[in-house]
Amino acid sequence: MSQTTAAGGPSAAARHIRVTVNGVAHEALVEPRTTLADFLRGDLGLGGTHLGCEHGVCGACTVLLEGRTVRGCLMLAVQADGRSLTTIEGLGREGALHPIQQAFVEEHGLQCGFCTPGFVMSVHELLELHPDPSDEEIREHLGGNLCRCTGYKAILRSVRLAARRLREARTSGTMPPERA
Amino acid sequence: MSKGIPRSIAELPTSKVRYVGERVPRIEDPMLVSGRAEFIDNAALPGMLHCAILRSPLAHARILRIDTRRTEAHPGVFAVVTGEDARATTAPLATIPDGWGVHCLAVGKVRFVGEPVAAVAATSRYVAEDALELLDVEYEPLPPLVDAFEACQPGAPLLLEDKGTNVVLHRKFTWGDVERAFREAEHSVTEKFRWNRLGANPMETFGVIAQWDPVEGTLTCRGSYQTQGYMALGVSAVLQIPAHKIRMISHPHGGSFGGKGGTRGTCIAAMLSRKAGGRPVKWIEDRMEYLIGGAGQAWDRHYEASLACKRDGTLTGLRVTLLDDLGGTPEGAGAISAAKPLTSFTGCYTIPVAEYDLTLVLTNKLPTGPYRGMGPPPHNWVLEHLVDRAARELGLDPAEIRRRNFIPKDRFPYEIPTGNEYDSGDYAAALDRVLEMSHYRRLREEQAKARAEGRLVGLGLVSTIEPGVFDWNAYAIVGVPMIGVPEGVSISIDLFGKIVAKVGFSLEGQGQYTVAAQVLADYFGVEMGDVRVVPQDSLAAPPHFGPGGSRLGVALTGALLGAAERLKVKLVRAAAHLMRCEPAALELKDGKLQIPGVPGAEMPVAQVAAVMLTRSDLLPPDLEPSPEATYVWTAPGRTPADENGRAKSYLTAANACHLVRVEIDRETGEVKIDGYWIADDCGVRLNPANVEGMIQGGVAQGVGAALLEEYAYDEQGQALTSTFMDYLIPTISDVPQPETAAIVTPSPFTPLGAKGVGEGAMHTTPAAVMCAINDALAPLGLRATETPASPQRLWKLLRTVSPNR
Repeated sequence: MSQTTAAGGPSAAARHIRVTVNGVAHEALVEPRTTLADFLRGDLGLGGTHLGCEHGVCGACTVLLEGRTVRGCLMLAVQADGRSLTTIEGLGREGALHPIQQAFVEEHGLQCGFCTPGFVMSVHELLELHPDPSDEEIREHLGGNLCRCTGYKAILRSVRLAARRLREARTSGTMPPERA
Repeated sequence: MSKGIPRSIAELPTSKVRYVGERVPRIEDPMLVSGRAEFIDNAALPGMLHCAILRSPLAHARILRIDTRRTEAHPGVFAVVTGEDARATTAPLATIPDGWGVHCLAVGKVRFVGEPVAAVAATSRYVAEDALELLDVEYEPLPPLVDAFEACQPGAPLLLEDKGTNVVLHRKFTWGDVERAFREAEHSVTEKFRWNRLGANPMETFGVIAQWDPVEGTLTCRGSYQTQGYMALGVSAVLQIPAHKIRMISHPHGGSFGGKGGTRGTCIAAMLSRKAGGRPVKWIEDRMEYLIGGAGQAWDRHYEASLACKRDGTLTGLRVTLLDDLGGTPEGAGAISAAKPLTSFTGCYTIPVAEYDLTLVLTNKLPTGPYRGMGPPPHNWVLEHLVDRAARELGLDPAEIRRRNFIPKDRFPYEIPTGNEYDSGDYAAALDRVLEMSHYRRLREEQAKARAEGRLVGLGLVSTIEPGVFDWNAYAIVGVPMIGVPEGVSISIDLFGKIVAKVGFSLEGQGQYTVAAQVLADYFGVEMGDVRVVPQDSLAAPPHFGPGGSRLGVALTGALLGAAERLKVKLVRAAAHLMRCEPAALELKDGKLQIPGVPGAEMPVAQVAAVMLTRSDLLPPDLEPSPEATYVWTAPGRTPADENGRAKSYLTAANACHLVRVEIDRETGEVKIDGYWIADDCGVRLNPANVEGMIQGGVAQGVGAALLEEYAYDEQGQALTSTFMDYLIPTISDVPQPETAAIVTPSPFTPLGAKGVGEGAMHTTPAAVMCAINDALAPLGLRATETPASPQRLWKLLRTVSPNR
């Protein structure tokens, strides 16, 4: 029995989809019921999108669909057909973390690190929408990401630092390392 | 010869300490922020199958029949196991106390909703779950037992019929003349308390890949194991294979807080792998499984407690009666959680006598497991609440009554009535720091004004002990026979001077690999980047436990420094031979072995290691060419417990003082925290940023405990909290951002003077928030004595005094 999709072998209902993930085009045959997260993790081998609850509350599986956050556990892979995604693996490059990732490191914005990719993706969207967010805006935007370790204080500091760094990068014309 | 393990940072062999004690970034983090850590669900093996587990929908029922035929015939299914397989090939799970175990898959009857009944291994999780739906199980419902008091009554339905009772343990422990203390008390307060079930809920659930080797008869398990070596022992006992044939490989895990579990899941996956002819089988617990059937429920407690005192506020005796509802079996260390309060039973105070009337009982709910703090957090709330009530009734300020009863700083080490010894502390200093930071007088004035306006504003001020560096002997009263928790490290230096430290635990979030790099870099005069920490599996690592019981920072430091001292002795012997001097003439400093006062008489550590590894002809003939050393640390001076559980158990006693300001909305019962101040003394801080993270994370979980988190069951024992929509984890908007200060009284008993810190805020925050709520309610004559103090609970309470609102 083939294991080409996360849902086991392809059935008659399997669909061909084309998606661009982190700048790389993929064609795949997926079962309609395969979640986007299982597709990214299982079929594409992008394990940085973590599954914390699989019912849409914890936000660990947050990825960007055309630059906007979606939950990989609440969306089906077939719904991403023809669209562009960015996952945590699309940020940073060898030897250079993305400024958001770097800020989390410097401000101790993580402990176990399991929720962190989801937070980083949500912060990415936040800082696109609000380059200089207030603490209230940060809280509002990250209200759908749960962290059990840090108590969020260091995450708030990380977001403030990331915002400052990204504003400085924009002013100086340096593009952060990412592949959309 | 070595002077032994350095007791302070100043004793490290370096002229300038660069890393230990500094807020250095964690070496773990670049991998984690990039999403590249190999959490267990990211691992895959060739031919791997996926497991799904069928769980009981009923709290108490006989299993009349399980028909697996349609499941076995489903395409993609490789193996199905039921209780019959468990009965035939495994032993019951280990329990504390011993002898109350059931099998990992229900045999004959189910005892709680979520209990594993059968499991399937198939080509994908999707297929496995399809196949589960084809299982046909017929149950005969039995009367469910969900009330702990009823479970103690004669004639109650029995969970384990052959035991003849649901009461696992009932004993009264008395330390000193408690009768007399209460008889002669000038004042006393008594209260009943209810602490509802809550639990760990790390963001990653448990997961395992089990692989049976049918030729060798061995088992390899990769998983998110908090304590791989002990898990191997438990699995060995269940699967009836010798421990040396089980290899546990702990992967980085997404948090634990004690609540990772894994014994049942590991055994079930192993049975499936065996039945599938040795194919690896992965089981990833989903969140619903975790919430209703995992290791995430703890502390289901009914208390009645009394405090005796004099009119001047001197506390003279403490009585605590606890009925602890362990759920379906004592397999999850719930009993240990009821024993641990002995380590700090009387808190920060000189209360001379105490009594603990302890009952552990089974009900048809999920077996309780460990959770951060391992038992004292509810006890601390009970004690601090009673202290506050005594103060209120005696007309004393909460700060004043505490100050009058603190163990004075010049009386350490101090033995408490339950036998444990506190190493050091200055509780008044922490209290004073909080009062100063918060402008406490002004807060009280503001509170008086708010009260005059009819607002419910409260201040909660509590001081607690965090027992650190756990030892098994603390749990002697529930039948744990061991003393000492070995933690080993092997270190080696290569021919370029780079250092590898091999440890027996994986990443969990506390930053211990960073601490290891800090300690070794300062010891051997290298950069942190020159140190690599490599986890070993359960067979390869030296004796180990891993994280748990606010212990690993201290234990790991001891093991690292012990190994470093041993390695130094070898290097000194080699260098002395090469330099033609006496070993005693050499000292290690700044990464060089040198003769003090003789310029140029020195060899870098890297050079000595290189000679050892590449020029054995230059070595003394009896020196092995091995620049490596192992050391296994355990806490010194631990003592066997007497029959009342008195022992020197946890090595360190950290202290924290928390002050919380809350306001309760009279209309909705909602509690808003609008001020929070902390002074914390965990001894010497090896990495202050790590410490602050531990404290703040504990505050978040403590706020959850006080206000949000509760596992609810209905009268049929049905689990009502099965998603994060029902079980409320604090969000970024729920957690306060306290102002913090550090007090440092080094531990005289530990390497570098550090104390355990991982659980301190969890020991303190729930009590502080509940005391603040009670302070707010005091003018109404109301007391909140059930956790969590949810809006619904407080609204109902408020309605009792103003029913028309």
